[in-house]
Amino acid sequence: MNHAIISCLHANLPAVEAVLNDIDKQGIDTITCLGDLVGYGPQPNEVVELIRKRGIATCQGCWDEDIIDGLNACECSYPSQLAERRGHLAHQWTDDQLTDENKSFLASLPTSLRRDRLLFVHGSPNSQHEYLLPDMDAFAALERVETAGADILFCGHTHQPYVRELRDGSIRVRLQNAEHGNDQGEELTLPMRKIVNAGSVGEPRHGSTNATYVIHNDATDEVEIKEVAYDVGRTCQAIVEAGLPKVFAWRLSHGFEFAEQAEDASHVCER
Amino acid sequence: MIERWALVSGLRGDLETYDLVQRDLKKTRGVTALFVLGDLVGPERNCDALLDRLRNPHRGDLKPDCIYGWWEEQLLAERGFRGERKADALRLSQGEDAVSALLNAVNPSHLKWLASLQFGFIELDCALIHGSSSDVGDNLTSETSPLILLDRLTRLNVNRLFTARSTKQFHLELTGGGINSQVKDLNGKREQQQEVPKRSVIGIGAGLNYTLYDIGSDKTHFLTAGSKTNPKGKGFV
Repeated sequence: MNHAIISCLHANLPAVEAVLNDIDKQGIDTITCLGDLVGYGPQPNEVVELIRKRGIATCQGCWDEDIIDGLNACECSYPSQLAERRGHLAHQWTDDQLTDENKSFLASLPTSLRRDRLLFVHGSPNSQHEYLLPDMDAFAALERVETAGADILFCGHTHQPYVRELRDGSIRVRLQNAEHGNDQGEELTLPMRKIVNAGSVGEPRHGSTNATYVIHNDATDEVEIKEVAYDVGRTCQAIVEAGLPKVFAWRLSHGFEFAEQAEDASHVCER
Repeated sequence: MIERWALVSGLRGDLETYDLVQRDLKKTRGVTALFVLGDLVGPERNCDALLDRLRNPHRGDLKPDCIYGWWEEQLLAERGFRGERKADALRLSQGEDAVSALLNAVNPSHLKWLASLQFGFIELDCALIHGSSSDVGDNLTSETSPLILLDRLTRLNVNRLFTARSTKQFHLELTGGGINSQVKDLNGKREQQQEVPKRSVIGIGAGLNYTLYDIGSDKTHFLTAGSKTNPKGKGFV
Protein backbone atom coordinates (compact mmCIF):
# COMPACT_ATOMS: atom_id res chain seq x y z
CA MET A 1 0.00 0.00 0.00
CA ASN A 2 1.22 3.47 -0.86
CA HIS A 3 1.35 6.14 1.81
CA ALA A 4 2.51 9.74 1.54
CA ILE A 5 4.90 11.62 3.80
CA ILE A 6 4.98 15.41 3.91
CA SER A 7 7.17 17.72 5.95
CA CYS A 8 8.13 21.34 6.61
CA LEU A 9 4.90 23.01 5.52
CA HIS A 10 5.97 26.36 6.95
CA ALA A 11 2.65 28.17 6.83
CA ASN A 12 2.55 28.10 3.03
CA LEU A 13 -1.11 27.38 2.32
CA PRO A 14 -0.99 27.31 -1.53
CA ALA A 15 1.84 24.75 -1.39
CA VAL A 16 0.06 22.57 1.17
CA GLU A 17 -3.19 22.63 -0.81
CA ALA A 18 -1.37 21.71 -4.02
CA VAL A 19 0.46 18.79 -2.41
CA LEU A 20 -2.64 17.41 -0.69
CA ASN A 21 -4.50 17.70 -3.97
CA ASP A 22 -1.73 15.76 -5.73
CA ILE A 23 -1.85 13.04 -3.07
CA ASP A 24 -5.65 12.84 -3.28
CA LYS A 25 -5.52 12.45 -7.05
CA GLN A 26 -3.45 9.29 -6.58
CA GLY A 27 -5.99 7.79 -4.23
CA ILE A 28 -3.61 7.74 -1.26
CA ASP A 29 -5.45 8.13 2.01
CA THR A 30 -2.66 7.54 4.53
CA ILE A 31 -0.62 10.69 5.01
CA THR A 32 2.00 11.35 7.67
CA CYS A 33 3.31 14.83 8.38
CA LEU A 34 6.78 15.35 9.88
CA GLY A 35 6.12 18.73 11.43
CA ASP A 36 7.10 22.38 11.00
CA LEU A 37 3.56 23.38 10.16
CA VAL A 38 4.44 26.99 10.93
CA GLY A 39 7.33 29.42 10.65
CA TYR A 40 8.62 31.64 7.81
CA GLY A 41 5.31 31.56 5.92
CA PRO A 42 2.28 33.88 6.06
CA GLN A 43 -0.63 31.48 6.83
CA PRO A 44 0.15 29.58 10.05
CA ASN A 45 -3.44 29.29 11.30
CA GLU A 46 -4.79 28.24 7.92
CA VAL A 47 -2.19 25.48 7.54
CA VAL A 48 -2.61 24.14 11.09
CA GLU A 49 -6.39 24.12 10.66
CA LEU A 50 -6.16 22.28 7.34
CA ILE A 51 -3.97 19.56 8.88
CA ARG A 52 -6.34 19.27 11.84
CA LYS A 53 -9.40 19.16 9.59
CA ARG A 54 -7.87 16.40 7.45
CA GLY A 55 -6.86 14.44 10.56
CA ILE A 56 -3.32 13.94 9.26
CA ALA A 57 -1.04 12.11 11.71
CA THR A 58 1.67 14.63 12.56
CA CYS A 59 4.78 14.78 14.69
CA GLN A 60 6.20 17.97 16.12
CA GLY A 61 8.84 19.93 14.23
CA CYS A 62 11.44 22.32 15.62
CA TRP A 63 9.35 25.38 14.74
CA ASP A 64 6.25 23.88 16.33
CA GLU A 65 8.30 23.10 19.44
CA ASP A 66 9.84 26.56 19.63
CA ILE A 67 6.47 28.29 19.31
CA ILE A 68 5.30 26.32 22.33
CA ASP A 69 8.45 26.21 24.46
CA GLY A 70 10.06 29.49 23.40
CA LEU A 71 13.31 30.01 21.59
CA ASN A 72 15.81 28.11 23.69
CA ALA A 73 17.58 25.98 21.13
CA CYS A 74 21.36 26.24 21.09
CA GLU A 75 23.29 28.08 18.40
CA CYS A 76 22.98 25.15 16.00
CA SER A 77 19.51 26.25 14.91
CA TYR A 78 20.77 29.01 12.65
CA PRO A 79 23.84 29.03 10.44
CA SER A 80 24.48 32.76 10.71
CA GLN A 81 23.70 35.85 12.75
CA LEU A 82 21.47 37.31 10.05
CA ALA A 83 19.59 34.03 9.63
CA GLU A 84 19.04 33.96 13.38
CA ARG A 85 17.72 37.53 13.39
CA ARG A 86 15.30 36.75 10.55
CA GLY A 87 14.26 33.54 12.29
CA HIS A 88 13.49 35.39 15.51
CA LEU A 89 11.39 37.94 13.61
CA ALA A 90 9.40 35.15 12.01
CA HIS A 91 9.06 33.39 15.36
CA GLN A 92 7.61 36.52 17.00
CA TRP A 93 5.25 37.16 14.08
CA THR A 94 4.02 33.57 14.09
CA ASP A 95 3.60 33.59 17.86
CA ASP A 96 1.44 36.72 17.58
CA GLN A 97 -0.71 35.27 14.80
CA LEU A 98 -1.41 31.75 16.06
CA THR A 99 -4.62 31.19 17.96
CA ASP A 100 -4.52 29.54 21.38
CA GLU A 101 -6.38 26.56 19.97
CA ASN A 102 -3.81 26.04 17.25
CA LYS A 103 -0.97 26.46 19.73
CA SER A 104 -2.57 23.77 21.89
CA PHE A 105 -2.66 21.50 18.87
CA LEU A 106 1.06 22.06 18.19
CA ALA A 107 1.80 21.40 21.88
CA SER A 108 -0.08 18.11 21.70
CA LEU A 109 2.01 16.68 18.85
CA PRO A 110 4.34 13.75 19.61
CA THR A 111 8.04 14.00 18.76
CA SER A 112 7.88 10.75 16.80
CA LEU A 113 5.40 8.35 15.25
CA ARG A 114 6.01 4.66 14.71
CA ARG A 115 4.27 2.13 12.49
CA ASP A 116 5.88 -1.26 12.84
CA ARG A 117 9.40 -0.89 11.43
CA LEU A 118 8.82 2.62 10.13
CA LEU A 119 9.79 5.59 12.30
CA PHE A 120 8.69 9.14 11.54
CA VAL A 121 10.50 12.16 13.05
CA HIS A 122 11.11 15.77 12.10
CA GLY A 123 14.91 16.06 12.42
CA SER A 124 16.32 12.86 13.86
CA PRO A 125 15.37 10.42 16.62
CA ASN A 126 17.68 12.47 18.89
CA SER A 127 16.24 15.91 18.34
CA GLN A 128 13.85 17.93 16.21
CA HIS A 129 16.81 20.24 15.58
CA GLU A 130 19.32 17.70 14.25
CA TYR A 131 19.93 17.71 10.49
CA LEU A 132 20.34 14.37 8.74
CA LEU A 133 21.90 15.60 5.53
CA PRO A 134 22.22 13.25 2.55
CA ASP A 135 26.02 13.10 2.70
CA MET A 136 26.53 12.99 6.45
CA ASP A 137 28.82 10.34 7.93
CA ALA A 138 27.27 7.03 6.90
CA PHE A 139 27.97 5.30 10.22
CA ALA A 140 26.42 8.18 12.18
CA ALA A 141 23.40 8.07 9.87
CA LEU A 142 23.04 4.32 10.37
CA GLU A 143 23.38 4.74 14.14
CA ARG A 144 20.38 7.10 14.16
CA VAL A 145 18.17 4.50 12.46
CA GLU A 146 19.51 1.43 14.25
CA THR A 147 19.48 2.91 17.78
CA ALA A 148 15.88 3.99 17.24
CA GLY A 149 14.96 0.38 16.42
CA ALA A 150 13.68 1.17 12.92
CA ASP A 151 14.26 -0.28 9.47
CA ILE A 152 13.31 2.90 7.68
CA LEU A 153 13.58 6.37 9.18
CA PHE A 154 11.46 9.13 7.65
CA CYS A 155 12.64 12.66 8.40
CA GLY A 156 12.50 16.22 7.13
CA HIS A 157 14.11 19.40 8.49
CA THR A 158 16.79 19.72 5.78
CA HIS A 159 14.27 20.78 3.09
CA GLN A 160 16.17 18.54 0.67
CA PRO A 161 14.38 15.32 -0.33
CA TYR A 162 16.46 12.17 -0.67
CA VAL A 163 16.49 8.43 -0.13
CA ARG A 164 19.64 6.97 1.39
CA GLU A 165 20.27 3.26 1.57
CA LEU A 166 23.01 2.14 3.99
CA ARG A 167 24.29 -1.38 3.34
CA ASP A 168 27.18 -3.87 3.44
CA GLY A 169 28.46 -2.32 6.66
CA SER A 170 30.88 -3.82 9.15
CA ILE A 171 33.10 -2.66 12.00
CA ARG A 172 36.11 -4.60 13.30
CA VAL A 173 37.10 -4.09 16.92
CA ARG A 174 39.95 -5.27 19.13
CA LEU A 175 40.25 -5.08 22.88
CA GLN A 176 43.62 -3.80 24.01
CA ASN A 177 44.72 -4.56 27.57
CA ALA A 178 42.15 -7.32 27.89
CA GLU A 179 41.78 -8.42 31.50
CA HIS A 180 42.03 -12.11 30.70
CA GLY A 181 44.93 -12.89 28.44
CA ASN A 182 45.17 -12.14 24.75
CA ASP A 183 43.65 -9.26 22.91
CA GLN A 184 40.37 -10.19 21.26
CA GLY A 185 39.27 -9.19 17.82
CA GLU A 186 35.81 -9.46 16.30
CA GLU A 187 33.74 -8.07 13.48
CA LEU A 188 30.24 -6.67 13.71
CA THR A 189 28.10 -6.97 10.61
CA LEU A 190 25.78 -3.99 10.30
CA PRO A 191 22.19 -4.25 9.10
CA MET A 192 20.85 -2.60 5.97
CA ARG A 193 18.78 0.47 6.78
CA LYS A 194 17.18 3.35 4.91
CA ILE A 195 16.67 7.07 5.56
CA VAL A 196 13.96 8.85 3.61
CA ASN A 197 13.84 12.63 3.71
CA ALA A 198 10.55 14.10 2.55
CA GLY A 199 11.99 17.48 1.64
CA SER A 200 9.72 20.46 2.16
CA VAL A 201 6.21 21.34 1.08
CA GLY A 202 6.28 24.99 2.07
CA GLU A 203 9.88 26.07 1.71
CA PRO A 204 11.86 23.94 -0.75
CA ARG A 205 15.63 24.34 -0.74
CA HIS A 206 16.60 21.75 -3.32
CA GLY A 207 17.09 24.20 -6.15
CA SER A 208 13.55 24.30 -7.48
CA THR A 209 10.48 26.21 -6.39
CA ASN A 210 8.33 23.08 -6.49
CA ALA A 211 7.00 21.61 -3.27
CA THR A 212 8.28 18.10 -2.52
CA TYR A 213 6.98 15.06 -0.68
CA VAL A 214 7.53 11.30 -0.88
CA ILE A 215 5.43 8.21 -1.48
CA HIS A 216 6.49 4.95 0.14
CA ASN A 217 5.11 1.54 -0.75
CA ASP A 218 5.18 -0.54 2.41
CA ALA A 219 5.06 -3.82 0.48
CA THR A 220 8.03 -3.17 -1.83
CA ASP A 221 9.77 -0.42 0.16
CA GLU A 222 10.02 1.60 -3.06
CA VAL A 223 10.18 5.34 -2.47
CA GLU A 224 9.23 7.99 -5.00
CA ILE A 225 10.18 11.63 -4.55
CA LYS A 226 7.40 13.83 -5.88
CA GLU A 227 7.56 17.46 -7.01
CA VAL A 228 4.46 19.62 -7.18
CA ALA A 229 4.23 23.07 -8.74
CA TYR A 230 2.08 25.63 -6.94
CA ASP A 231 1.38 29.35 -7.06
CA VAL A 232 4.66 30.59 -5.56
CA GLY A 233 3.82 34.20 -6.40
CA ARG A 234 0.70 34.09 -4.24
CA THR A 235 2.69 33.02 -1.19
CA CYS A 236 5.49 35.50 -1.88
CA GLN A 237 2.99 38.32 -2.09
CA ALA A 238 1.39 37.24 1.20
CA ILE A 239 4.82 37.17 2.87
CA VAL A 240 5.54 40.74 1.81
CA GLU A 241 2.06 41.94 2.76
CA ALA A 242 2.38 40.33 6.20
CA GLY A 243 5.56 42.32 6.85
CA LEU A 244 7.73 39.22 7.15
CA PRO A 245 11.37 39.52 5.97
CA LYS A 246 11.38 39.80 2.18
CA VAL A 247 14.23 37.33 1.95
CA PHE A 248 11.70 34.60 2.77
CA ALA A 249 9.85 35.46 -0.45
CA TRP A 250 13.16 35.60 -2.35
CA ARG A 251 14.06 32.17 -1.01
CA LEU A 252 10.74 30.69 -2.09
CA SER A 253 11.05 32.17 -5.56
CA HIS A 254 14.51 30.56 -5.99
CA GLY A 255 14.03 27.29 -4.09
CA PHE A 256 17.40 27.75 -2.46
CA GLU A 257 19.03 29.69 0.36
CA PHE A 258 22.77 29.39 0.51
CA ALA A 259 23.02 30.77 4.03
CA GLU A 260 20.61 28.18 5.36
CA GLN A 261 22.86 25.21 4.72
CA ALA A 262 23.56 23.44 7.99
CA GLU A 263 27.25 22.72 8.30
CA ASP A 264 27.47 20.28 11.16
CA ALA A 265 25.22 17.36 10.55
CA SER A 266 26.56 15.45 13.51
CA HIS A 267 25.81 18.16 16.05
CA VAL A 268 23.09 17.41 18.54
CA CYS A 269 21.34 20.39 20.07
CA GLU A 270 22.02 20.31 23.84
CA ARG A 271 19.02 22.43 24.75
CA MET B 1 60.71 11.80 26.29
CA ILE B 2 57.83 9.95 27.96
CA GLU B 3 54.71 12.05 28.42
CA ARG B 4 51.79 10.55 30.26
CA TRP B 5 48.38 11.66 31.34
CA ALA B 6 46.75 10.34 34.49
CA LEU B 7 42.98 9.93 34.28
CA VAL B 8 40.85 9.55 37.39
CA SER B 9 37.12 9.51 38.07
CA GLY B 10 34.52 8.38 40.58
CA LEU B 11 36.26 9.69 43.68
CA ARG B 12 32.84 10.57 45.14
CA GLY B 13 34.28 12.54 48.03
CA ASP B 14 36.95 9.99 48.92
CA LEU B 15 39.98 12.09 49.86
CA GLU B 16 41.94 9.03 50.97
CA THR B 17 41.72 7.52 47.49
CA TYR B 18 42.72 10.80 45.88
CA ASP B 19 45.70 11.02 48.22
CA LEU B 20 46.79 7.50 47.19
CA VAL B 21 46.55 8.47 43.52
CA GLN B 22 48.64 11.59 44.09
CA ARG B 23 51.27 9.50 45.93
CA ASP B 24 51.37 7.03 43.04
CA LEU B 25 51.80 9.82 40.53
CA LYS B 26 54.69 11.32 42.46
CA LYS B 27 56.51 8.01 41.97
CA THR B 28 55.67 7.73 38.28
CA ARG B 29 57.86 9.11 35.52
CA GLY B 30 56.56 11.44 32.89
CA VAL B 31 53.09 12.29 34.19
CA THR B 32 52.43 15.80 32.95
CA ALA B 33 48.70 16.14 33.52
CA LEU B 34 46.01 14.83 35.85
CA PHE B 35 42.46 14.81 34.51
CA VAL B 36 39.59 14.14 36.89
CA LEU B 37 36.69 13.09 34.70
CA GLY B 38 33.80 13.85 36.99
CA ASP B 39 31.98 12.22 39.88
CA LEU B 40 34.03 14.20 42.34
CA VAL B 41 31.03 14.04 44.64
CA GLY B 42 28.62 11.35 45.75
CA PRO B 43 26.09 10.66 48.49
CA GLU B 44 28.14 8.21 50.58
CA ARG B 45 30.28 10.66 52.52
CA ASN B 46 30.94 14.35 53.08
CA CYS B 47 32.79 15.59 50.01
CA ASP B 48 33.99 18.97 51.24
CA ALA B 49 37.55 17.92 52.14
CA LEU B 50 38.14 16.40 48.72
CA LEU B 51 36.66 19.42 46.95
CA ASP B 52 38.88 21.71 49.04
CA ARG B 53 41.93 19.68 48.00
CA LEU B 54 40.97 19.65 44.32
CA ARG B 55 40.40 23.39 44.35
CA ASN B 56 43.49 24.14 46.43
CA PRO B 57 46.13 21.50 45.66
CA HIS B 58 48.78 20.71 48.26
CA ARG B 59 52.37 21.58 47.56
CA GLY B 60 53.73 18.77 45.40
CA ASP B 61 50.31 17.68 44.14
CA LEU B 62 49.90 17.28 40.43
CA LYS B 63 47.37 20.01 39.69
CA PRO B 64 44.05 18.41 38.69
CA ASP B 65 41.99 19.53 35.69
CA CYS B 66 38.40 18.60 36.50
CA ILE B 67 35.20 18.24 34.51
CA TYR B 68 31.76 17.49 35.86
CA GLY B 69 30.21 14.03 35.91
CA TRP B 70 26.83 12.41 36.46
CA TRP B 71 26.76 13.03 40.21
CA GLU B 72 27.65 16.71 39.79
CA GLU B 73 24.92 16.97 37.16
CA GLN B 74 22.38 15.58 39.64
CA LEU B 75 23.57 17.89 42.42
CA LEU B 76 23.60 20.99 40.23
CA ALA B 77 20.19 20.20 38.77
CA GLU B 78 18.65 19.74 42.22
CA ARG B 79 20.29 22.97 43.42
CA GLY B 80 18.73 24.95 40.53
CA PHE B 81 21.78 25.31 38.28
CA ARG B 82 20.18 23.51 35.33
CA GLY B 83 17.09 25.59 34.69
CA GLU B 84 13.88 23.75 35.39
CA ARG B 85 15.53 20.33 35.51
CA LYS B 86 15.93 18.54 38.84
CA ALA B 87 17.84 15.42 39.87
CA ASP B 88 15.23 13.26 38.15
CA ALA B 89 17.63 10.54 37.03
CA LEU B 90 18.94 10.06 40.58
CA ARG B 91 15.47 10.27 42.09
CA LEU B 92 14.21 7.65 39.65
CA SER B 93 17.10 5.24 40.11
CA GLN B 94 17.89 5.56 43.82
CA GLY B 95 15.03 7.40 45.46
CA GLU B 96 14.50 10.50 47.53
CA ASP B 97 16.92 9.46 50.29
CA ALA B 98 19.81 9.45 47.83
CA VAL B 99 18.91 12.95 46.66
CA SER B 100 18.89 14.19 50.26
CA ALA B 101 22.18 12.43 51.01
CA LEU B 102 23.80 14.05 47.98
CA LEU B 103 22.61 17.52 48.97
CA ASN B 104 23.96 17.01 52.49
CA ALA B 105 27.30 15.73 51.23
CA VAL B 106 28.38 18.98 49.58
CA ASN B 107 28.60 22.38 51.21
CA PRO B 108 26.78 24.97 49.04
CA SER B 109 29.97 27.06 49.00
CA HIS B 110 31.33 24.59 46.39
CA LEU B 111 28.37 24.84 44.03
CA LYS B 112 29.54 27.78 41.94
CA TRP B 113 32.88 26.10 41.35
CA LEU B 114 31.21 22.83 40.42
CA ALA B 115 28.88 24.71 38.07
CA SER B 116 31.90 26.30 36.38
CA LEU B 117 33.37 22.93 35.40
CA GLN B 118 33.30 22.01 31.73
CA PHE B 119 31.47 19.11 30.09
CA GLY B 120 34.74 17.79 28.70
CA PHE B 121 38.17 18.56 27.32
CA ILE B 122 39.61 18.09 23.85
CA GLU B 123 43.38 17.58 24.07
CA LEU B 124 45.37 16.65 20.97
CA ASP B 125 43.04 14.26 19.15
CA CYS B 126 41.47 12.97 22.37
CA ALA B 127 38.16 13.79 24.01
CA LEU B 128 38.04 13.51 27.79
CA ILE B 129 34.42 13.27 28.94
CA HIS B 130 32.58 11.66 31.83
CA GLY B 131 29.99 9.90 29.67
CA SER B 132 30.17 10.80 25.99
CA SER B 133 29.42 13.54 23.53
CA SER B 134 25.82 12.40 23.68
CA ASP B 135 25.23 12.74 27.42
CA VAL B 136 27.07 12.95 30.70
CA GLY B 137 25.25 9.77 31.72
CA ASP B 138 26.11 7.81 28.56
CA ASN B 139 27.34 4.45 29.86
CA LEU B 140 29.91 3.23 27.33
CA THR B 141 31.63 -0.12 27.89
CA SER B 142 33.56 -2.62 25.81
CA GLU B 143 30.19 -4.34 25.27
CA THR B 144 28.55 -1.25 23.76
CA SER B 145 27.73 -1.57 20.08
CA PRO B 146 30.73 -0.44 18.00
CA LEU B 147 28.26 1.54 15.90
CA ILE B 148 27.37 3.64 18.92
CA LEU B 149 31.03 4.00 19.93
CA LEU B 150 31.91 5.19 16.42
CA ASP B 151 29.02 7.64 16.53
CA ARG B 152 30.25 9.15 19.80
CA LEU B 153 33.75 9.55 18.32
CA THR B 154 32.39 10.99 15.08
CA ARG B 155 30.30 13.61 16.84
CA LEU B 156 33.48 15.05 18.36
CA ASN B 157 35.74 14.33 15.39
CA VAL B 158 38.39 12.83 17.67
CA ASN B 159 40.42 9.65 17.41
CA ARG B 160 40.22 8.70 21.08
CA LEU B 161 37.42 9.07 23.59
CA PHE B 162 38.25 8.65 27.28
CA THR B 163 35.11 7.90 29.25
CA ALA B 164 34.41 7.22 32.90
CA ARG B 165 30.69 6.73 33.42
CA SER B 166 30.75 2.93 33.30
CA THR B 167 33.52 2.80 35.98
CA LYS B 168 35.09 0.02 33.84
CA GLN B 169 38.63 -0.05 32.50
CA PHE B 170 38.96 -1.02 28.86
CA HIS B 171 40.66 0.07 25.66
CA LEU B 172 38.61 -0.85 22.61
CA GLU B 173 40.10 -0.14 19.22
CA LEU B 174 38.08 0.17 16.04
CA THR B 175 40.45 -1.42 13.58
CA GLY B 176 38.63 -1.61 10.26
CA GLY B 177 35.47 -2.17 8.30
CA GLY B 178 33.37 -0.01 6.03
CA ILE B 179 29.94 0.77 4.67
CA ASN B 180 28.36 1.47 1.30
CA SER B 181 25.54 3.87 0.75
CA GLN B 182 23.45 5.01 -2.15
CA VAL B 183 21.77 8.40 -2.19
CA LYS B 184 18.89 9.02 -4.56
CA ASP B 185 17.53 12.53 -4.97
CA LEU B 186 15.94 14.60 -7.71
CA ASN B 187 19.30 14.82 -9.50
CA GLY B 188 19.76 11.05 -9.73
CA LYS B 189 21.71 8.40 -7.81
CA ARG B 190 25.22 8.37 -6.40
CA GLU B 191 27.19 5.70 -4.57
CA GLN B 192 29.43 6.34 -1.59
CA GLN B 193 31.92 4.13 0.23
CA GLN B 194 33.26 4.91 3.66
CA GLU B 195 35.87 3.12 5.75
CA VAL B 196 36.02 2.87 9.52
CA PRO B 197 38.76 5.19 10.76
CA LYS B 198 41.20 3.79 13.32
CA ARG B 199 39.83 5.12 16.57
CA SER B 200 39.56 4.05 20.23
CA VAL B 201 37.30 4.33 23.22
CA ILE B 202 38.99 4.01 26.59
CA GLY B 203 37.22 3.40 29.88
CA ILE B 204 39.39 4.86 32.62
CA GLY B 205 37.86 3.18 35.70
CA ALA B 206 36.74 4.77 38.95
CA GLY B 207 37.93 5.32 42.51
CA LEU B 208 41.18 3.49 43.18
CA ASN B 209 41.25 2.18 39.59
CA TYR B 210 42.76 4.80 37.35
CA THR B 211 44.49 5.02 33.98
CA LEU B 212 47.79 6.28 32.64
CA TYR B 213 47.96 7.16 28.97
CA ASP B 214 51.25 7.41 27.07
CA ILE B 215 50.50 9.98 24.43
CA GLY B 216 53.59 9.10 22.40
CA SER B 217 52.94 5.38 22.10
CA ASP B 218 49.13 5.46 22.39
CA LYS B 219 49.31 2.87 25.18
CA THR B 220 47.03 2.76 28.20
CA HIS B 221 47.97 1.36 31.60
CA PHE B 222 45.22 0.36 34.01
CA LEU B 223 46.36 0.78 37.59
CA THR B 224 45.10 0.58 41.16
CA ALA B 225 46.16 3.35 43.50
CA GLY B 226 48.26 2.20 46.43
CA SER B 227 48.72 -1.26 45.01
CA LYS B 228 52.20 -2.73 45.37
CA THR B 229 51.40 -5.31 42.75
CA ASN B 230 50.62 -3.27 39.69
CA PRO B 231 51.26 -5.98 37.14
CA LYS B 232 54.44 -6.20 35.19
CA GLY B 233 54.15 -6.64 31.47
CA LYS B 234 51.70 -3.78 31.03
CA GLY B 235 54.46 -1.34 30.32
CA PHE B 236 54.22 0.72 33.48
CA VAL B 237 57.05 1.64 35.83
